[in-house]
Amino acid sequence: MLRLRAWISVGVLMICANPLLADEADAKRNGPLTHAEFLELHKELQPADEPWRTIPWKIALLDAQRSAAELKQPIFIWAMDGHPLGCT
Amino acid sequence: MLDRESTFAQPEIVKLLKTSFVPVAIDQAYQRRQQDTEGDFYRKIAGQGPRSNFNGTTQGFYIATASGKLLLYNNNRDPEKVLRLMQQKLAEFKASGEAGADTAGIKASKVDERYQPKPPVGGLVVRVRAKVLDGYEPTLDPWQRIFQTSMSRDNLWLSKAEHDALVGGTIPQSLQQRIAMYHLVDNTRGEPPMWNEKELRKIDMKITDGKISGVAHLQAAKSERGFEANIVGEIETKDGKVTRLDFVAKGDFWGEGQFTKNAPKGRFPLAVSFTIADGTDVADQIPPQASRGWVRGYIQE
Repeated sequence: MLRLRAWISVGVLMICANPLLADEADAKRNGPLTHAEFLELHKELQPADEPWRTIPWKIALLDAQRSAAELKQPIFIWAMDGHPLGCT
Repeated sequence: MLDRESTFAQPEIVKLLKTSFVPVAIDQAYQRRQQDTEGDFYRKIAGQGPRSNFNGTTQGFYIATASGKLLLYNNNRDPEKVLRLMQQKLAEFKASGEAGADTAGIKASKVDERYQPKPPVGGLVVRVRAKVLDGYEPTLDPWQRIFQTSMSRDNLWLSKAEHDALVGGTIPQSLQQRIAMYHLVDNTRGEPPMWNEKELRKIDMKITDGKISGVAHLQAAKSERGFEANIVGEIETKDGKVTRLDFVAKGDFWGEGQFTKNAPKGRFPLAVSFTIADGTDVADQIPPQASRGWVRGYIQE
């Protein structure tokens, strides 16, 4: 097992250190958009694990007020210039 | 964006917001102007804080009771400080009479429709996300690192006529223009400048056998900012509805705006992705940034 890990590490180092492979990676990021890269980028830009999206945000203050009254909890208001869940 | 990747990525803050607070996210430029019940309630809370001049921004974090009593105003984004203040104010709230008090829910007796933008009936909402793929100088500054790795979030709205045109296999010029001018932007470090009609040098998108292809060229008058991109994607329809609309614009971007400083030097690769919003994400309900206060100008139905 240790030997296998060592070989994998050497392989990773060789790939990272190989300027030809590094150039290839740069060219892929900086070159024209292919169909295969579209699929890859599209997946990369739809992350499923963003913590802020797991928070049960309300987007209407009166909805929040009614829930706060019912649950007897304080309201946390995130008020920004531009909508904080979008905009940027 | 900075708050999403820092304050609201802090596990204890996320947990507190899920269990002990009612979290609400708003564009205060609307609430402080709204002449209705919601606007009144917002101004009642914000007016107790330091930003009580409603002709200017009132942005920040507020903690308030259901009766509208302000417990905290804070505009510092340090997650440790925000967490400490949340814990402190929660303890004070629980120790006060407010926690056990019966407070009536407020019914909206008046709604200011100017600040209630809704997506076009029969149209589509599309999630838009952008990321700078390369080009930044290495940094040890944690805040800069957040900006350098951030992914923006916006929505694109389509009218019913545009949706129906897509079903028929064409991408209307109005939609191409909206995509280019308002969504092929670098909004990964803040609110970006949109493109105007003169800066839109070229947008040419088409559908061929379910595949989307195209090119875009946007450039400011003095060439201080621009984007040259290829567009590739796929579309699927069923029973007169668009069921899949996935595409990416990727190319060279250069320059920055007043609120998007510290872009990579020279040209850098930027990718902007589009996919149908299925309504499972609360952010799917947020109006496009470019429609802010100007929905009719944005959608031009």
